[in-house]
Amino acid sequence: MNYDYVFPFAAIIGQEKAKKALLLNLINPKIGGVLLSGEKGTAKSTLVRGMAVLMKGMKVINLPLNTTEDRLIGTIDIEKTITQGRRSFQPGILKEAHGNILYVDEVNLLSEHLVNCILQVASSGLNKVEREGISVVHPCQFVLVGTMNPEEGNIRSQFLDRFGLFVEIKGCEDLYERKEIIKRRLEYERSPLDFIEKWRLETDVLSQQIKAAKKYLSKVQVSDNVMKLAAELAKEANCAGHRAELVIIETARAIAAYEKRSNISVGHIKEAAEYTLPHRKREKTTKQELPPETPEMEEQKESNEQQSKQPEEYEPSDQAEQEEESEAEQQEDPNTLEPKQQEDGNSEVKDKKEENDEMSIDQIDDIGRTFIVKNLDIKAIDRKKRKGEGKRIRTKTDAKKGQYIRYKIPKNKLQDIAFDATLRAAAPYQAIREKKGLAITIDNSDFREKVREKRTGSTIIFIVDASGSMGAKKRMSAVKGAIVSLLTDAYQKRDKVGLIAFRKKEADVLLNITRSVDMAEKCLKTLPTGGKTPLSAGLFKGYEVIRTAQKKNPDMLPIIVLVSDGRTNASINGGDPFEEAMEIAKKIRMEGIRSIVVDTEQGFIKLGIAKDIANALGALYCKLEELEGEQLAEAVRQCAIDCNY
Amino acid sequence: MKNAKTVYPFTAIVGQEKMKKALILNVINPLLGGVLIKGEKGTAKSTAVRALAELLPERTQVEGCIFGCDPYDKSGMCITCLKKLEVNVKLNEVKGKMKVVDLPISATEDRVVGTLDIEYAIKKGEKKFEPGILAQANRNILYVDEVNLLDDHIVDVLLDSAAMGVNTIEREGVSFSHPARFILVGTMNPEEGDLRPQLLDRFCMVVNVTGERESEKRMEVIKNRLEFEKDSEAFAKKWKSKQQELRNRIKKAQELLHEVTYDDSILEMAARTSIEMEVDGHRADIAMIKTAMTIAAFNGRNKVLNSDLLEAAELVLPHRMRRTPFEEGIFNMSRVENVIGQTHQG
Repeated sequence: MNYDYVFPFAAIIGQEKAKKALLLNLINPKIGGVLLSGEKGTAKSTLVRGMAVLMKGMKVINLPLNTTEDRLIGTIDIEKTITQGRRSFQPGILKEAHGNILYVDEVNLLSEHLVNCILQVASSGLNKVEREGISVVHPCQFVLVGTMNPEEGNIRSQFLDRFGLFVEIKGCEDLYERKEIIKRRLEYERSPLDFIEKWRLETDVLSQQIKAAKKYLSKVQVSDNVMKLAAELAKEANCAGHRAELVIIETARAIAAYEKRSNISVGHIKEAAEYTLPHRKREKTTKQELPPETPEMEEQKESNEQQSKQPEEYEPSDQAEQEEESEAEQQEDPNTLEPKQQEDGNSEVKDKKEENDEMSIDQIDDIGRTFIVKNLDIKAIDRKKRKGEGKRIRTKTDAKKGQYIRYKIPKNKLQDIAFDATLRAAAPYQAIREKKGLAITIDNSDFREKVREKRTGSTIIFIVDASGSMGAKKRMSAVKGAIVSLLTDAYQKRDKVGLIAFRKKEADVLLNITRSVDMAEKCLKTLPTGGKTPLSAGLFKGYEVIRTAQKKNPDMLPIIVLVSDGRTNASINGGDPFEEAMEIAKKIRMEGIRSIVVDTEQGFIKLGIAKDIANALGALYCKLEELEGEQLAEAVRQCAIDCNY
Repeated sequence: MKNAKTVYPFTAIVGQEKMKKALILNVINPLLGGVLIKGEKGTAKSTAVRALAELLPERTQVEGCIFGCDPYDKSGMCITCLKKLEVNVKLNEVKGKMKVVDLPISATEDRVVGTLDIEYAIKKGEKKFEPGILAQANRNILYVDEVNLLDDHIVDVLLDSAAMGVNTIEREGVSFSHPARFILVGTMNPEEGDLRPQLLDRFCMVVNVTGERESEKRMEVIKNRLEFEKDSEAFAKKWKSKQQELRNRIKKAQELLHEVTYDDSILEMAARTSIEMEVDGHRADIAMIKTAMTIAAFNGRNKVLNSDLLEAAELVLPHRMRRTPFEEGIFNMSRVENVIGQTHQG
């Protein structure tokens, strides 16, 4: 497609940092690319496409998300192989990308397998193709440019590190600028060609500037002091490896060249650090000159950290969270004001009263502190399990659904034929085969099958104790906070969720298994507490829901998250409530359903019943207080991984 | 769609004015960016979209081009047509109707984006691209029923092409790209799960439909439906003049659209609204103005009034209000009304 018809780079308003980061990469390709991360509709893609026009001799090569492996690294050329009877190589995107810009839109959604291919090539600078009887090596160095919306999930840290620079993009708030943005966009849409022509001069000026800066680049001196400063900055940010300081230096060189200075100043280095360190930083430093981080980056950073399990505070992001939250609380106030007051005043009295009072007043707690769910420490786990990041689990599916990423030689009966791979396999032998009027004859041994990758989230059933005891001392509020945090995580991992609450005499399915995390949150918000604790009914309901769901979709990975103090005092059949709960718990375990128990027990005298239940379930066990350390989410994740492998 | 079966006439759909209007606006101005219809089952969602096909206007396209390129728009042309232009081959024009192209949720990726033409390869030993649904959808309406149930990787593909109007294929040995500018129309039942925000944002407007509440209207719905089922052709005939009337109105609006202007104050209000409502990014501002312009054209005016902008805001803003992936943004129309002073009567 023709990239000449794109919104002119020079006409884009604002986003100065992103623009500069892109320009610096054009000036000095050694920087290694840039990742633009930001909310939707902030001209991320427009910027990158606009950039393509600025540089003659450097192209933007697009890597679409649906790319298959053969097109990425290159493969056997069917046509040539057939006509010439000789195996010949058909280069892929990586060959084209050599010396150019490789652009991935929505890079956080790129197939894991393709990411691995890119990583391998990027680290060696060579693309080694060994497939289908082809053996080719070609140099492959490119500027990697990606755009992403962090709402859709994260990039794993190793891949993140490949992007030289990082810029977070936000919409601009200035009224005048916003007006101008609308105006220009509409003008462009009315007549793209005229608009491009109108901006031709500005575009040319910018191109000239880049050209000049590129020439000037070799004149820029790198002094020892500058190197030292870069190294110190990188050290302070606790970056892994040495790429950070190298990129700082290369970036500073480009900045200096852009300004036509032959010496790199401290200012240049600091500016460069603003682009290079945010996504590589691994621990909070006290340095204020570094830009505040986004939650996503923090998470990423967290996952970088290997075993260091320090409970970290998310300072900047936390503030934002809390602000948001207090807003939410305000909105809820009309509903919750009353019960809250009650709760503060006589929660203890109520506690006792509720033991034998089923007519007790229900109360609705608001959602307590939420937190960003910690990313799984991927490096600590076996390599194979790494697939847990991004989507919770990526399974190679046998069903004919999912994204076709590569092929394999079929083992049993051929089901999902990979035509392209089959043709490629057949191509070299065409010269010696009988044709029967066709151009290609295919032999049984040629058949290849598709390997598809599908993202399957887990199905998490929350079984929440909503009895009177949970209402005390804002316990429910904390529980709600924890669950909402998990829901956020679940959204990004494309999990399905269900919500069951048990109170008074029975358990209710508040939300059947759904992908709508939205609805789960709404249900949770209005969940009242009060009454007895029919734990066994809750567990049984959860078991039922999972059983029905499994009938529909046998591949699903169910996980039960039980949130309760375990002090059950109501049974289904009128027997001993505890015994009954233990019975059902054992049954769930027998079915191979994974579970997690969150103990909400508080006070001096702890009965530890929840722990017993957890043992019967074979569940991971943690206390509500520990949730703040984001362990629940991790536990769920771990659970998901365990049951997949 | 050339099926012998008569389609339920668009104008015979009772109520659901907002949905009907949103669909019509998109037909008038294909650059708007589509509409998502959210609602319970049995609220004429799909009926409306299918009925739309009959109202779609004619336009010129290059003869024999599978992508239906516009012979006068170089910026959105496929490679074959462009090459022809370069060597001064005249592009033959034909009149063609805009179509509704279905994207079933069971569609596989290769059918959506296109793939290697196997037959051709085996017979001729050459590679040829076999266009998929996105190729057909160029300059047409791409309709996804139950869009929230679409497979994740198909959504990714849609996002890719919806963003830049180009479908790039790098798969199964084929490397190709072609224009894929389509009006994305989706319907969904929110009970079945949510749409990813990224995809949600690509829809210019979202309308919520509910069943009619008044018993009189409900009776009318039943009456019309029964009449249609009894004798669809007679029913269609009955509505023929109404249909023609609407078709004419759409055509007029399309012609008028190029002349629609707006004051600076309108621009300012749109920008101010977006800031006030804290929407993500700039897509909302642009969508608001474009929608307002189209509404003005539909109303036979060449100037955007405040009331147009207000109406546009109601269509464009609500789904962009979310701050976190699943936190329901609270959309408060009165806040918008405050910004967009209603100096003109609506």
